[in-house]
Amino acid sequence: MSQTTAGLERLFKSLATHADLIAEAYLQGVVYQDDKNQRALNQLRQLKVLAKHGEDGYRIAGRLNQFLDHALSSDRVRRLDTDLASWIDTLEQQISLYRDAWSENRQEDADNYLAEIERLVFDLADVLEDNTRYLLMLVNSRFANVRTLAEKQKQNAFYISRLEKLVNAISALQPEYLLEMVEELPILYDLLDQQLIRLLPVYQQRLQDILDKLKVFLFELRQIEARAKRVQGFVFFLRQNPGYQTRDWSEADTIPEFWNQMQPLLLQAYADPLDHAVEDELIDIAQKIKIDTEALLAKQKKRGINAVTAANSAKQVLEVPLYRKQLRALLQYVHQASGKTVSALAFGQAFIGAIEPSIWLACVMNECLRQRHQQLQIEFRLHGQDTDFSGNKKITDILLSHRLPQT
Amino acid sequence: MFENAVKQLLQGAFICEVSDEAAFNYLADGDKARAVDAFLSQLGYRLAKTQNELAFYAAYQQIDTTARGEIKRIFQQFRIELYPVVEWLDMMMSCLNQDTALAPGDTLSFSSLLQVIEQNQALADRLLSFVKFKDFAGSDDSVKARLEKLLATLHKWGYLKLANRDMLIYQVTGKLDYFYQALQFIQEHEQIPIEQPEEDAMQESLF
Repeated sequence: MSQTTAGLERLFKSLATHADLIAEAYLQGVVYQDDKNQRALNQLRQLKVLAKHGEDGYRIAGRLNQFLDHALSSDRVRRLDTDLASWIDTLEQQISLYRDAWSENRQEDADNYLAEIERLVFDLADVLEDNTRYLLMLVNSRFANVRTLAEKQKQNAFYISRLEKLVNAISALQPEYLLEMVEELPILYDLLDQQLIRLLPVYQQRLQDILDKLKVFLFELRQIEARAKRVQGFVFFLRQNPGYQTRDWSEADTIPEFWNQMQPLLLQAYADPLDHAVEDELIDIAQKIKIDTEALLAKQKKRGINAVTAANSAKQVLEVPLYRKQLRALLQYVHQASGKTVSALAFGQAFIGAIEPSIWLACVMNECLRQRHQQLQIEFRLHGQDTDFSGNKKITDILLSHRLPQT
Repeated sequence: MFENAVKQLLQGAFICEVSDEAAFNYLADGDKARAVDAFLSQLGYRLAKTQNELAFYAAYQQIDTTARGEIKRIFQQFRIELYPVVEWLDMMMSCLNQDTALAPGDTLSFSSLLQVIEQNQALADRLLSFVKFKDFAGSDDSVKARLEKLLATLHKWGYLKLANRDMLIYQVTGKLDYFYQALQFIQEHEQIPIEQPEEDAMQESLF
């Protein structure tokens, strides 16, 4: 087992053993030393997992902190105001150190500085990539992670200010100067040029795009706020003024363009049976209708309930009532005795025994009142003068005669 | 798509991403929109869009006497819709516990709304108060029936689309963009005071 492998194993074991302390340092920001954890904290410090924080405290080491932020997708990784300037300063310092080591032929030191420079460049590229991607997601989701409008506006303003700082910081970078510094060091030149300098305009443009989107969204948020206020204000106004009717803008001399909206048309078309071009389709449709109908009927036939039977019902002959027969006979009699007056009561007494005279008279009167017999002259015989003012008139007989056609 | 878009426009539809995404995208293409507009112009209409370009609709090319009469009818319908739609928007802010009014594309779940309203007497009373508007009247006074009637009427008026028939999920259409535009117009031109006294606003927020 090589020394590096052994060191790595020791590191992982320590991380696992003291996971609770590391978690506490990460989540709380600091872990304080006591009798129980003193040894463990010292060990973690030696392994560069923790760093001293004041007299008795330990904080998580910067790089591990970054790794955990990144791994957990924590919001803390979104610190866009990462001190880019100091980052660049460090990069410049490391380049100087590398250059010195290189010129003094200190190969091991030069390798270490190169590794550090690589880390810095890759970290910077990672931070820019992660943050721009995260911001894009936030902007595209329109800050769906927060619910209220006020919170969305706050987040939007926050990220706008951070982005502006970052855009300015990138703009302030002097790539030519950096490249000049490493002009004689091809490895560093290629590294800086390919991994950072060439990507800067891309990140800068991306950030600028996000910034533009955020500004548009901020404008929209202000509109949304105004809209919500308007709705609430209208509700309040309408409650205060229940009889309010908006002005009839359609009566204005010049109708405002805004109200110009067409009245819906009812569109309907018919098939043209004389159009041979669609003849086949029409036949298909017609046949389909037939099939559909048959299918529907077949389906209905299967149903036991509500089955319709086509059995012929027995014919029932209704007999004409006696009074109708007698009425017909009376009218024929009057017609035959043309010009003569016929007493309905006398006719009843002579020919109809089965119907009481009063009922018979009621039947004759009903027939006369139907006014279907225009050729009949009808005269009601009344019973004297009523003395009790009952409003009724008592009919004692009805005289019928056939009215001769006028010449 | 030309035919579909034109037919819808002539039938008075507001075409938006919610009501008909394909037709909306078609009209959002400048060349296609110009072709539709050219066709409509032969019939005396033109293609119009809402303020935020969230919906397309057809308008008269020139407002003559006939057009004026027809615009009047449309305007009368807007007058009918004004009060209930404003009430609905405000009520939804309360139901969804949001400080923003509904916007085109937002979704409303019947079951979620029902649950919220059934657990809040003030909201249930507010829902019941919709019966004062003719189109929302019904014989069944249960919360469920009232809510069904509310959403069905707004669906009929074109402010909502039934996005999922099984789950009863509605989606707000682009016609609401036109409605907001109308509110803004009325407020600005009729000088409607929409600022609530602070006390009232605070009391409302407490509910």
